[in-house]
Amino acid sequence: MTARGEASRFETLPYGVGRLTGGWALLVVALLALVGWGAYAYSCQFVEGKVVTGMRNIGTMGGATWGLYIAFNVYFAGVACAGITVAALIRLLNLNALRAVARMAELLTVITLILGAFSVLADLGQPLRALINLPLYARPQSPFFGTFTLAIAGFLFDSLVYLYLAGRRDAYLMARYDTPLRPLYRAWAAGYRDTPAERERHRKTTFWLAIAIIPLFITAHSTLGLVFGLQVGRPGWYSALQTPAFVVLAGVSGVGLLLVIAAILRGYLREEQRLGTGVFRWLGAFLLVLTLAYLYFVVVKVLTGFYAGHHHEQQLTQLLLWGAYAPVFWGSVLLLALPAGLLLLQAITGRWNIPALVACGVMVNLAAIGKRYLIVVPSQTHMSLLPYGPGFYAPTWVEYSIIVGLFALGALLYALFVKVFPIMDVPEEGVR
Amino acid sequence: MAKYAMVIDLERCVGCRACMEACKVENDTPQAVFWMYVFRFEEGRYPNTRVWFLPRPCMHCDNAPCVKVCPVGARYKRPDGLVATDWERCIGCRYCEVACPYGVNYFNWKAPEKNYYLDWKDRDLGPVTHGATPPYKNPDLEKPYGPERRRIAGGGHLKGVIEKCTFCVHRVEKGQTTACAQACPVFAIQFGDLEDPNSTVSRLLKKRPHFRLLEEAGTQPRVFYLGGHPPGGEVRQIEGVKARV
Amino acid sequence: MGVKLTRRTFLKGAAALTAFVALGRLLDGRLNTLVSTGPPSPSSAAGEQWVPTTCWIGKQDCGMLARVVDGRVVTLEGNPAHPRNRGTLCPKGVAQIMALYDPNRVKTPLIRTNEKGVPGRFRPASWEEALTLVAEKIKEVRAKDPKLILWQKGRSKGGAIYDDAFVKTIGATKVGHGTYCADAGLRAAEYTIGPRGGAHPDFRHTRYLLSWGWNLTNAGGNKLCFITWNQQFMEARERGMKVVHIDPRLRPAGPFADEWLPIRPGTDLALALALCHALIAQGTIDREYLKKYTNAPFLVKEDGLFLRVGDKEQVWDLKSKALKPFDAQDLDPALEGEFTVDGARVKPAFQLFKEHVARYTPEWAAEVCGLPAEQVRRVARELAENAMIGSTIVLEGVTLPYRPVSMMFYHMSQQELGFQACRAMFILFMLLGAIEAVGGVRVDFTWKVDSNYEALERVKVKDPPYDYTLKDSKFFPINSVNPGMIAKMMLDPQKYQVDKVPEMAILHMVNPVVSFTDQPLFLEAYKRFKFVVALDPWLSRTADLFADVVLPAATLEKYEGPLGATDQYTDATAFRLPVMEPLYQSKGELDIYLDLCEAAGLLYGKGGYLDHLNKELGLKDPYKLDLNAKPTVREIFDRWARSQGLAEGIAYFEKNGVWVKGPFSPKKYYGYAQSPPFGGIRHRLYGESLLRLQQEMQAKGAERVYWQDYTPFPTWREPTMWKSPPQYDLTLISYKMIEFKQSRSSQIPLLAELAPQQRLAMNPAAARARGIRDGDEVWVESHNALTGETRRVKVKVELTEAIRPDVVGMPHHYGEVARHPWAKGQGPTPNTLFFAGEGYVTNTNDNSFHVRVRVYKA
Repeated sequence: MTARGEASRFETLPYGVGRLTGGWALLVVALLALVGWGAYAYSCQFVEGKVVTGMRNIGTMGGATWGLYIAFNVYFAGVACAGITVAALIRLLNLNALRAVARMAELLTVITLILGAFSVLADLGQPLRALINLPLYARPQSPFFGTFTLAIAGFLFDSLVYLYLAGRRDAYLMARYDTPLRPLYRAWAAGYRDTPAERERHRKTTFWLAIAIIPLFITAHSTLGLVFGLQVGRPGWYSALQTPAFVVLAGVSGVGLLLVIAAILRGYLREEQRLGTGVFRWLGAFLLVLTLAYLYFVVVKVLTGFYAGHHHEQQLTQLLLWGAYAPVFWGSVLLLALPAGLLLLQAITGRWNIPALVACGVMVNLAAIGKRYLIVVPSQTHMSLLPYGPGFYAPTWVEYSIIVGLFALGALLYALFVKVFPIMDVPEEGVR
Repeated sequence: MAKYAMVIDLERCVGCRACMEACKVENDTPQAVFWMYVFRFEEGRYPNTRVWFLPRPCMHCDNAPCVKVCPVGARYKRPDGLVATDWERCIGCRYCEVACPYGVNYFNWKAPEKNYYLDWKDRDLGPVTHGATPPYKNPDLEKPYGPERRRIAGGGHLKGVIEKCTFCVHRVEKGQTTACAQACPVFAIQFGDLEDPNSTVSRLLKKRPHFRLLEEAGTQPRVFYLGGHPPGGEVRQIEGVKARV
Repeated sequence: MGVKLTRRTFLKGAAALTAFVALGRLLDGRLNTLVSTGPPSPSSAAGEQWVPTTCWIGKQDCGMLARVVDGRVVTLEGNPAHPRNRGTLCPKGVAQIMALYDPNRVKTPLIRTNEKGVPGRFRPASWEEALTLVAEKIKEVRAKDPKLILWQKGRSKGGAIYDDAFVKTIGATKVGHGTYCADAGLRAAEYTIGPRGGAHPDFRHTRYLLSWGWNLTNAGGNKLCFITWNQQFMEARERGMKVVHIDPRLRPAGPFADEWLPIRPGTDLALALALCHALIAQGTIDREYLKKYTNAPFLVKEDGLFLRVGDKEQVWDLKSKALKPFDAQDLDPALEGEFTVDGARVKPAFQLFKEHVARYTPEWAAEVCGLPAEQVRRVARELAENAMIGSTIVLEGVTLPYRPVSMMFYHMSQQELGFQACRAMFILFMLLGAIEAVGGVRVDFTWKVDSNYEALERVKVKDPPYDYTLKDSKFFPINSVNPGMIAKMMLDPQKYQVDKVPEMAILHMVNPVVSFTDQPLFLEAYKRFKFVVALDPWLSRTADLFADVVLPAATLEKYEGPLGATDQYTDATAFRLPVMEPLYQSKGELDIYLDLCEAAGLLYGKGGYLDHLNKELGLKDPYKLDLNAKPTVREIFDRWARSQGLAEGIAYFEKNGVWVKGPFSPKKYYGYAQSPPFGGIRHRLYGESLLRLQQEMQAKGAERVYWQDYTPFPTWREPTMWKSPPQYDLTLISYKMIEFKQSRSSQIPLLAELAPQQRLAMNPAAARARGIRDGDEVWVESHNALTGETRRVKVKVELTEAIRPDVVGMPHHYGEVARHPWAKGQGPTPNTLFFAGEGYVTNTNDNSFHVRVRVYKA
C-alpha cells in the first residue's frame, strides 16, 4: 500500500482520527518540550529536596507546607469530578443535545485524575516510599488515604472502565475500517457485535455505571474536602461548608474546561453541526447555575467570617478582603462574577456566543485555581492558632514548571487520544 | 503502664531558650528546626506592659489530629502516651504538619548533611569526628525503640521526612528525663509519669492550677502549664526566631 | 482475540510494575528514599564515658558533664553536684559544643604579614617560631620597662595563674575589663561598706527586692551568673518575695516584676537620694546600726573634714553630753543636732546628710527620673515596712539583725554618675540597717574587707608624669583603670601628662575593638602598639586588625583552675578538665604561658613563672613545684589539690568534677556575724577622703570634669550627656542577651540562629512620632556633649511596649566579632555609638553606657 493509500484510508475515519496534521505535530512537540521541562524541574526537586520550592514549615518558619501542588491536586480532582458527572448525566437523563461531548468529558476526567495523582506524587517527600508504604500500611481513617487512594485510584479505575465500556460500540464501528489502528479497535471492542440486544445491553451497562459513579464522585470529592474541613487546627479550613463548596467549585471548573475543550475541538474538527449552539447552550446554562451557586457560597463565607465574633475567622476574612491575599481573592471573585454576568446576559437574551462562552470557561478556571490556592495557603501562612506571626509563600520556578508540565501532559494526552480514537460518538452511518 | 506527661511552670520560665538548645544538641536537629520552641510574649501598652514566656514542645496529644491523618501510620500514639514518628515509614506528605494546631512539625526540605550550620567535613576534624555531621552526633538516635521496635528517636533527619519532638524517647527508655527538662536552669520543665502519684508531675498538677494550650481544640495535650494564662489575642511575639531553611 | 481487561489483571499488572520499579531503586543504591542510611555510628554503652569539667563560655564556670563516646564529645550536660547550676545549663553552655568543633577556629599559630588596621593576611607558623618571636618582643620591651607590656584580659578563668603569677613574672601592667563591667559599683562597695562586689540579696531570707537595673532573664549579676541567681530568685519568690524592677526596660524582669519603675537612664542617683529623703522623713531608719557601725555620728567641721582629737574622729555622746572619741565604750552618739566645740560649729555627719537630702523629695525625683511621685513614695513605704528595723533572727545559734529588704545591682553602675549612685544606693540600705544583715544586702560571698577599703581612703594625688594607667593621677585618684582612657591617652599622652606609653599588648580572652566602648577610638589607638599578641580560639576582630601573632587557645580541651564553685551559701571548688585532646594545634592558655615563659627565659629559678605559681596558687611543701623542672599543667593542679589536703590530687576532680566543702556558717557569712561586727570597720556614710581628694585635684589644677563628683555625699547633678543639643532627644542604653557572651560568641551558629541580627528596641509611640514602623531600617546617631563629635550606625527597629518612649536600646554581642561566616552581616555594636573619656566616664574611671542619640529613617 502506498503512503497515499494509507493516508486516504485514514481519510475515511471520523473526527480526524489518524490524520496527523502539521499543526498537530507542532503542538505535540511543544507540549513534549514543556513536559520535559517539568520533568527536569521535578528531578531537581527529587535530588535537592523540596527546598527548591517556595514551601516551608508552618510555625516558626512562617511558611506554607502545602502549596501549588496540593492546590492543583484539588483543582484537577475537581475538574475530574465534573467531567464524569456530565458524562453520567448525559447517559442518565438522556440529554441527547449533549451527547456529543460525552466522551470528551469522560476523557477529561481520566486525564485530570492522572494529573491529580501526579501532582500529589510531586508533593510527597518520599514518593518511592509512598508507592510501597501506601499499599502496605494505608489507614482508612486518614482523609488523605480517602483522597489519594479512594478518589484517585478508585475513581480513576472506575472512570477508565466507564470510558472503556462506553467506547466499545464506537471501537467496533471503527474496527470496520482497514487501518493500522484496527488491532487497537478490535481489542477495545472486545467482541462487541452490533446487534439490538448488544446495543440494549450496552445502553443498560452504561446507564447503571453512570448511576454508580455519581455517589463515587461525591464521596471522592467530599473526602478531598474533608482533608481540609476536618482540621480543627487550621482556621479557615475547619468548616462544614468546606465540602459542599468544594463540590460546587469542582462543577464550575469542570464544566468551564469542558466548554473550552468543546470549542477547541469544534473549531479544529470543523464540527459546527454536531457541536452546535445546542450543546453550548446546555453547557453554558450548567455553568451559570453552578457559578451562581458558588458565588452564593462565597458570600455566605465572607458574611459569616465578617460578622462572627470569632477572632480567627474575622482575621482570615480581613486577610482575604484587604490583606496580603486581597489581590488573589478579588481577582478570583471578579473572574467568577464577570462570567456569571456574561452567562446571565446570554441566558436572558437567548443568544449564546461561543467565543464569549470560551472566555467564561477560561475565567472560571482561573478563578477556580485562585480559590483553590486561597483555600490551601492563607490558613497556613497566617492562621496559626499559636501566635507565631504571619508568614509567606512564594512558589518557585520548580513548582511553576511542574504545574505547567502537568497541564502540558494533560493536553498532550488529550491531543494523542483525539488522533487515536474518535472524540465523539460515531454516527450509525459510519463515515462522516 | 506509664503515662508520661510534661509540666511547665510559667511562673518560673525565664525564656532563656536553654531548652531549645539542649533539644537541638541532644537530637541533632538541623538548621531552622526547633522541636522545642520558646515564645517570648509582650502584652499591653506602656507603662502597663507585661512580658512573659511560653515553652512549646510537641503536646503529645491524647486525641492527636496528626495521628488521625497520617496515611501510613508513621505517626502513632504509644501506650505510654508518646506520639511517635516512624521515620522509616514516613512518606513526607506533611498532612500531620497541616493538621497540627500547635505547629510542632518540621519537614526536612533538604538533605540535612547540607543543613548543619558549618562544614563538618573539615579535614582537620576528621581524626576526631570521623566526618560525623553534626560533630556531636548522638549515637542513640538511629536505634529502634519501644516494644514495637520502630525507629522513632531523633535519627530521622532524612530528606523528605517529617520530624518533631519525641519526648526524648531514647532517653526516657533509659530512665532519664528529657533533654529540655534536664537543661532548664530554673527547673521549670518537669517530665514524668502521671500514673505514679509521687512523681513531680503528679504532685505539681495536684497542687497548682494549670491549663493546656488550645484546650478548645479537643486535642487533649499531655503538656500542662502551671500558673500564667493561655496566650490570647492580645499577645505579641517579641524576639521571635524566624529561621528558615 | 482481545484481552479481557478485568479488575484482577489490572491490579496484577500494577503490582508487578511497582515491584519492578522498587527493585530497580533498591539496586541502583538510592537507599536514601526507602531505608534509613548513614554510616554506622560508634557504639554507645561500650566506649562511653562522662567527663566532668566546667563551662568555658560564661562567667561562673558552671559544672558540666561531657558525654564522650569513642573520643568524641556528644553532648554537654550540667553537673548535678555543682552548687552553681545543679545539673542544668544555660543556652550558651549547651551550645558551646559547636564552638568546640568549629572548623573556623584558629588552627595554627599565625604571624601577620601585612599592615595593621585592615583585615590581616596571616601565615601559619609553628609554635616554636611564634613563641620565639613573642618571647623576643617580651625581652625587648622588658629591657626598657616591663610595665610597657600591657596584659589586657576580658576574662581569665584562673586569677592566680594568669592575672597574678604570669603578670608578676613578666612585670607587666594588668588591665581588666572591669570598667566596662561593674567596677564603679565595686569601688562604691569597697569605699562605703568594705568588701568587694556589687550588691546581691541574701536570697534565702529576703522578702523585698529592688531589682535595680538587674537583667534577670538575660544575664548574671554580682559575683554569680544567670543560673545561680535565678534558681535562688525563684525559691525566694515562691516564698513570697516581692520584686520592684527599676530599669528603663521591663524585658529584663520578664514576668517577675511586681512593680516596674521605668526610670530615665542616668538618674538612679536621684531616685536613691529621694528614697533616702523619704526614709528619713518617715523616721524609719536603723539608728542603732548608724550609731555603732557607720561614720554617721562623726562630727564634721565647717570645712567638711572630721573633727579630730589627735588622730581620732569624735562624736557627741548624748549620755555624758560631751565630746568623745568615736570608739569609746558605752556611748550613745548623737546623729542629729549642731554642737560647738572650741568655738567651732560641728554637726554629726548624719545631720549633714539629712540637710543634704532635704531637697531631694520624691516629687523632685519624679521630675528628674520620669517616674510618678506616688510610686517613689510607695517604694519608700514598702522598704520601711519590709525592713522590720529592730528585729532579730537566730541562725545556727547566732542572733543576728533581721532586715529582709535587699537590692540587686551590677552593670547599671556603669553610668557617668555610677560611683555616687551606687554609694547612694548602699546608703539607702544603710539607713534601713540592712547591710550584711539576714535577708539584706550582701556584697561578697563571705565577709571579707577588701584592701581597697583602706587604700581608697589613703589615695594621694601625685605629681606628673603619670603612669599610663593614670593611677594616682589628678584625673582619676580612685581609678578602676579604663582601657578607653588608656587609648585616649595613647593618642595624646601630653594631655594626660604621661611620658611612657605601652608598647606591647598581650590580649587574653578579649576583643577590645568590639567589646570596649568608642570603637573608633580603639581602632585608632591599637595602631600605636608596636606589637600585639592575641590568645584566642578564633580570629577575633581585634586580632584580625591588629595582632602580630595569634596563638590558638583551646576551649574545653584544657586544665584550668582552681575555680570557685560557691553559690553564695555553699563553699566549693571545681576545675576545668579537658574533654578531649586540644583540637587542631590549639593549646590551653596555661600551656601557652609555660612555653612562653620558657622561651623568654622567665620560667625557671627564683622570680620565674614556676616560683610565682608556687606563691599565687598557695602550693605547700612537699608539693611545691621544682623551680628547675618544667611541669605538665595537670601536674601543677595535682600538686595544688594535694596542697589543699586532697590525697588523690587532681584525680579527685577528674572523678567528681567539684569539691563541695560544705555550707558557709552564718558566722563567716554575714558582716554582722563577725566579731566584732564588720570586722570592726565603720561604714562610710560620709566620704571625707573624697572631699580631700577633690581639694587635692583642684590644687593640682585638674579640670572640673574630673573632680566634680568627688563629694563626701552623693550629690545630684545633671549627666553631661544632657548637654547635647535638643535634637538628640533619645537616650541610648545597652544590655546583654542570654544567647550570647560578651564579644566572643555571636559567631557560634547554634546561638546566632536564635538571634541573627542586631535590633534597636524602640517604643511604638516614639516610632510613630518619627514615621518609623516595626522592621524599618534607621540611623542611630550619637552625640558627644563635650567634643561635639557624632557617630552613627544603621540598624533595624524592633518595636516594644516594654521600654520608655524617650529611650532606645541595643544589645551588645554583635559587631562582626570574629572572622567567621556566621559573624558576617549581623549588624553593629552599640560600642560604636558610646564614647570613652570625659563626660562618659565616672570619677572613678569607669565607663558609661549612656549617650544621647537621635533616630531617623534610613
